[in-house]
Amino acid sequence: MSALSATVALFQRDIKAVIRSRSQLYSSMFTPLLLLVLLGTGVSEGLDPAKLPGNGNFTAYLVAGSVVMTAVFSSTFSSASYYRDRDSGILRMLLSAPHDPHWILLGKSLAGVAIGAAQALIVLAVAAPFVDFEWQYGIPLGIAVCLAVVLLLNLFLGGVAQAFASRIQTMQGFHLVMNLALFPLLFFSGAFFPVDNLPMWLEILARINPLSYAVDALELATYADSSAAFFGLAIDFVVLGGLAVGVYTLGVARAPKLTFSGK
Amino acid sequence: MGVVRSYGDRRALDGFTVSIPAGSVFGLLGPNGSGKTTFVSLLAAMEAPEEGTLRVFGEPPAPRLRARMGTVFQENAQDPLLSAEEYLTLAGRVFGVPGSILKARIPSLLSSFGLGDRRGDAIASLSGGMRRRLDVARALLHGPDLLILDEPTTGVDPEERRALWDRLLGSERGRRTIMLATNDLAEADSVCDQVAFLRAGQVVATGTPAELKRGLRKEAVRVTLNGPVDERIERIRSWPGVGAVTLDGTELHVTVDDAATFVPRLFEHAPGAVRAIAIQAATLEDAYFQHIGSRTARTEVAV
Repeated sequence: MSALSATVALFQRDIKAVIRSRSQLYSSMFTPLLLLVLLGTGVSEGLDPAKLPGNGNFTAYLVAGSVVMTAVFSSTFSSASYYRDRDSGILRMLLSAPHDPHWILLGKSLAGVAIGAAQALIVLAVAAPFVDFEWQYGIPLGIAVCLAVVLLLNLFLGGVAQAFASRIQTMQGFHLVMNLALFPLLFFSGAFFPVDNLPMWLEILARINPLSYAVDALELATYADSSAAFFGLAIDFVVLGGLAVGVYTLGVARAPKLTFSGK
Repeated sequence: MGVVRSYGDRRALDGFTVSIPAGSVFGLLGPNGSGKTTFVSLLAAMEAPEEGTLRVFGEPPAPRLRARMGTVFQENAQDPLLSAEEYLTLAGRVFGVPGSILKARIPSLLSSFGLGDRRGDAIASLSGGMRRRLDVARALLHGPDLLILDEPTTGVDPEERRALWDRLLGSERGRRTIMLATNDLAEADSVCDQVAFLRAGQVVATGTPAELKRGLRKEAVRVTLNGPVDERIERIRSWPGVGAVTLDGTELHVTVDDAATFVPRLFEHAPGAVRAIAIQAATLEDAYFQHIGSRTARTEVAV
């Protein structure tokens, strides 16, 4: 009987914990519903191979999206290391060093950017030999474009993750909010289907989506045989560059405020 | 004007004033939540006081001054996935110790703290005592002038504790200032040159352990009662020669001028109330409880 009582007590405690964690409560339900509405519409409206730009090879088309998705996952996991470092205590030691804490956190953050960029480029390198890329700017310049896009994208995502981490106390909450914020962006970035055949409201969403410009530039550099049906590299780099610098600076400035007491 | 630092409505430091002589071992003693860790954060320029002035090495606290401080935090500040050697290397680099010096200093420190044969082991595999020693070694790595120790011997067995203090004080006493924040009064009594008692963010007494004990009655009597405190026991606070009277459950603690007079009178006054008695010279613990209030937050005999 006492064992059952313990089970019930733990059951109630965990239910209360979820109810009190509003981010977990809302985002775990909201994300699937959002994806159902947005992804369902996107796939049914936009995923027609005949409407694909370029050579119509859907596998080749998906590579750019996969690269961006890798960067999204990687930036989320890298930024979650703030929580691990905080909980293990090493962040306390690092913050006791004779430097402005932002320099310490900048080092951590840049490591996340480097790892994210490397992983994204590995995905590209593994996929490239097996798909039909056009490399319309030539392979060296195409690779240079990919490298620049991946770096800017990871800077942007690192800034977003850091800004969230500065506000969210728990790692579970952080993962949920990142998923809630980034997954809808991913699905409407052109990563899985072109965004120019979508209903107007979704096309508008896609055009104000920062990830769209990373996918666009990667598609232009690898998959596309012309710039028709794409935003264009100049626009992509202006938007991505501006966001990367602005959001990353904001993220570093808002780096998690921690004291020796860990609060 | 004393230092003030608040978190919301709660004042962690409330007119806090203390002066720590260079080269001394200074104990900051107070119950949990009395403001010790907040003071450490202010010293290290992690936070700024709202009111009052703080000076470290004669200057207002600034991040660059942390190069002259080594801090052992109340909880371990380690990455369990790193080895002891990797951890010290990281700490040395972050604190700007040149690589050539690190190469020589890390093995020496690890060996000195009894960790030489565990240098390559993951920190996660070290015992609690070893991890505390590693943290102390890390705090000494860059040769700080001020060593801040926040509960440094928590979880360390008595033998290791002795060894740790021997290492800290043995050959280096006076070479650097040590600020010890602790609840371990016996430890503070044995190692500190000066102590301050902290309560609710204020220093309520400061001096050498001997000075603080001098203000007490000469002896401490620990009385185990057979039952709850009654009026007879409460009356003893008005007896001549009786100082602080505190209660923890059925354990009564009384400081007195002369135990030889007090004890017979107690038996006469409250027959059957006393189960056991122990008499000892007054300690820093007695001085602490006299200033801080009660031995526990539970009960204190009313005067």
